[in-house]
Amino acid sequence: MSEPSIFFSEVNERQGAFHRRSFLLGGFAGAGLLALGGRLAHLQLLEAQRYQKLSASNQFNFRLVPPPRGLIVDRNGAVLATNRPNFRLLVVKDGEHEPGETLKTLAHFVPLDEARQERLMREFERTPNRTPVSVMEDMTWEQFSAINVRAPEMPNVTADMGEVRVYPHGGAFAHVIGYVAKVNREDLTETGPNSEAILLHPGFRIGRQGVEKAFDLDLRGRTGARKVEVDARGREIRNDTDGDIPAAPGKTVELTLDVDIQNRALEVMGDESGAIVVMDCRSGDLLCMVSAPSFDANRFVRGLSTAEYRALADYERRPLLDKAMSGTYPPGSTFKMTTALAALAAGINPEERIHCSGGWRFGGRTWRCWRHGGHGAQNMHDAIKNSCDVYFYQVALRMGPDHIARAAKALGFGQAFDIGIPGQRTGVVGSTEWKRTQVKRDPTWHPGDSVSYGIGQGYITANGLQLAVMTARLANGRKQLNPRLVKSVGGVEMPPGDEVPNLPFSQEHLDYVRAGMIAVANDRSGTAFRQSQLGLGDVLMAGKTGTAQVRSYDGVANRDSRSVRWGLKDHNLYVAFAPIDQPRYAISVIIQHGGLGGATAAAPRAREVMRVALLKDPEIRARIVQPMPLPDVTDLPPVGEAPEGAVAAPPPLDPGEPT
Amino acid sequence: MTMSALSRPGERDRLVVKFTQIDWTFAIALCLLAGTGALMMFSVAGSSWEPWAGPHLFRFGFCFVLMIALALFDVRVWFALAYPIYGLGLLLLLAVEFVGDTRMGATRWLDLGFMSFQPSEVMKVGIVLALARFYHGISAEDARLSWWLIIPALMIAAPVLLVAHQPDLGTAMLIALTGAAVVVLAGLSWKIIGAAVISFVAAVPIMVMFVLHEYQRARVLTFLDPESDPSGSGYHILQSKIALGSGGFFGKGYGLGSQSQLNFLPEKHTDFIFATLAEEFGFLGCALVLALFAAVIFMALRTASLAHSHFGRLAAAGVTATFTLYVLINGAMVMGLAPVVGVPMPLLSYGGTVMLTVMIGWGLVQSVRVHRYTEVTSGKGAFV
Repeated sequence: MSEPSIFFSEVNERQGAFHRRSFLLGGFAGAGLLALGGRLAHLQLLEAQRYQKLSASNQFNFRLVPPPRGLIVDRNGAVLATNRPNFRLLVVKDGEHEPGETLKTLAHFVPLDEARQERLMREFERTPNRTPVSVMEDMTWEQFSAINVRAPEMPNVTADMGEVRVYPHGGAFAHVIGYVAKVNREDLTETGPNSEAILLHPGFRIGRQGVEKAFDLDLRGRTGARKVEVDARGREIRNDTDGDIPAAPGKTVELTLDVDIQNRALEVMGDESGAIVVMDCRSGDLLCMVSAPSFDANRFVRGLSTAEYRALADYERRPLLDKAMSGTYPPGSTFKMTTALAALAAGINPEERIHCSGGWRFGGRTWRCWRHGGHGAQNMHDAIKNSCDVYFYQVALRMGPDHIARAAKALGFGQAFDIGIPGQRTGVVGSTEWKRTQVKRDPTWHPGDSVSYGIGQGYITANGLQLAVMTARLANGRKQLNPRLVKSVGGVEMPPGDEVPNLPFSQEHLDYVRAGMIAVANDRSGTAFRQSQLGLGDVLMAGKTGTAQVRSYDGVANRDSRSVRWGLKDHNLYVAFAPIDQPRYAISVIIQHGGLGGATAAAPRAREVMRVALLKDPEIRARIVQPMPLPDVTDLPPVGEAPEGAVAAPPPLDPGEPT
Repeated sequence: MTMSALSRPGERDRLVVKFTQIDWTFAIALCLLAGTGALMMFSVAGSSWEPWAGPHLFRFGFCFVLMIALALFDVRVWFALAYPIYGLGLLLLLAVEFVGDTRMGATRWLDLGFMSFQPSEVMKVGIVLALARFYHGISAEDARLSWWLIIPALMIAAPVLLVAHQPDLGTAMLIALTGAAVVVLAGLSWKIIGAAVISFVAAVPIMVMFVLHEYQRARVLTFLDPESDPSGSGYHILQSKIALGSGGFFGKGYGLGSQSQLNFLPEKHTDFIFATLAEEFGFLGCALVLALFAAVIFMALRTASLAHSHFGRLAAAGVTATFTLYVLINGAMVMGLAPVVGVPMPLLSYGGTVMLTVMIGWGLVQSVRVHRYTEVTSGKGAFV
């Protein structure tokens, strides 16, 4: 430094050193800032796209939307299961707000007592963070709006509108349709449809019984998604509707059932326990399948309390059991058509008369006829009409069990039908082969087994559906009809029940047996004459009564069931079809422990349900309702601008056409 | 105002003249930076002056007036108060050690009843003043290499150790680096500088593994491998880089930064405000702000080199070095180049204490500028 100055040389030296070093500091600062700029350029210019993707995946989230569950409708489109809007209250554990505090606040707006709060707190402990917990369903509009107004103060609370399954006909279809319920941990699987994330959605319900379970995947539909902007805590900030993926509703399942027949059938059951099945004799479609007593499936959707469940499960008449499919009963005298057909096929002459004196000694005991005084000499037709036990004891003994079993199987006993829903119990069809393989403690078929077999007791049981199928096959007279419950799924028709082989019986034999059934209901001396009068003009019903004992009558002085407790009373059955000339509908009625005769307890109910079915049928109605004579219309002026030559009166309506 | 006017005796002591001698370009640059900070705070608060933007501007206004006032103090007053301020700072640090307020596991605060503050902040200015005062009194030869240098070494070590014990690693490091900067600026021998750098580099791994607290070690280790724990300690670095990178060249637009608006970015208004800026204004906005910082630093360095007194030079350069360190460390941290150490971006970040310290420092720098021709004399002795 040669700069002239007033400072000491030593001071100049310090100044020079400082200047050099401050240049260095400046250089350091400049280099540092440039390095930052370079790093920024690297991040913001070269890698911008990568970070923009990461930023978007932070910012946007897809929230699953449960699809509307498919409808279940009857054969005429009447709704049996649908969805209704439901104002839900959801609370999410977000790690910031204490759920207990939130519940206390919410208790000001909706009824949430201490016990319910405790139950919800336990649920919060089980649920992972950010998964909403349903605090209340079915809020009123007032509650919903009161909470929505305060939503900004409670960011962990959502009040939204979901859908809930509803069964408008309550208990009438509970066993067939089943119900939906919350998803259990056992429902979830690693793979397949039950591994989908939508199952964890609080609004999602899974099919539990009947059609809801069997067609669950069809009814579910396709899950949608909402594109939402979320903050770092996963809370929704905004909905980006352009990015939404709409949910596709589930398929509609159309049943062959008829809502009017089904409802009436449950009504006529009253307090009794049992089942009514109605089947179309031409197509095999099931028009009614009711089990009584029933339960309200809507209660199951919400979730049953333990007390409610116990009440249903412990009731002696077992409302939870589907007696039309899962309850098997001895068919009693309704089995006599089968025995008769087997006898005809085995070559027994139907005109041969057997004498009934009210009882028959065989194998060291007396086999009683239901009529103590006896029926006298009976041919097969009389025996069916009078339901003579002695006749069928002897016929069954003569041909042996295997002929009967063959006929029974051809009529549908001992098998489960493919009607789309699970739960059928097949019952027992006895034969020598069956007894050898199935009855370990007594594998030989004794002659006495055949005797009771002939009147539908002992080694023969059936459910209501099988009895209806048997009746429909007899009524049809030709085809080995199969029942059909599900008409179509998502518009795709299911295979019909009438594309089947013919019955292995000769037409003559079938007609003979049917004549017996007609006599039961229409001959003044038939067992169910009075109870089988439809009052529908020339539309007549044919039927067969049945009374199945559930206790041994040996040593019992009085067979009358009226004095014993409910569980020991006889079952009452009735099977019928109508009209007798062109059979259209077959019905089976089982009154469990009805305690009366088949004619008294079951036949009037069958008649009432049959009337409803017949009156709904336009062809039948046209037969019953005689049209008024047409007025003489030829004098009337032509209508409108009718062209020449078309002056004639409008063609008379064909009364036979369905409208 | 011409040089001739200024050379008139007594002219420079007039307040009005002093006022004109303040570097107003520099002052405007500071206002622009603080204004940018407030702008970003307004954005992340959802277009609201509360809770950050308003107070930030208010504090800056107060500190700005304070800076002007301090600039008018004669540099000899600063000179005289250098050791007392340093001494007071040391006493307060000792007080913290015994009666300090513990928050979040660290004892950094002194509760004065009406407010609480961190004495370590006093030390950031105090160390610069004390070292400048010391080097003013010794020769270039002694400053280069002599036994005298034990004194500045101790002057740096004492506050650094006390602050590190609080523990406040970031501030301790800042004080140490500021002190080192003054020592280097004063003309320390390159041999010593080289030896110190080598031994520091060797000591870092040992420090990390054995001396640091658990949370400090976690921060350092996470910095080395941020993807190892993306939702834990690495979260801050990762989210900050996402905010920066997704900004692109022009940014997402004011108020539209999803990372900061939706709280993915931690400490969006304090330590990571630069990331907020980068997200909404992109590379363009960042480059402008960095240029502003560069302008502030170079104007301050020029002020330092203009000073006639060695004390003034060193004090101004020391303050500038502190400011530079703040900017570089915070920038490196936000960009994922340094561990998260809790050093804010000066003037941009929300926070009263740091704002006060920085503006007091700039007050000192402006005082040096206003009084750049003032002779500072002390006795022959290094102390007094």
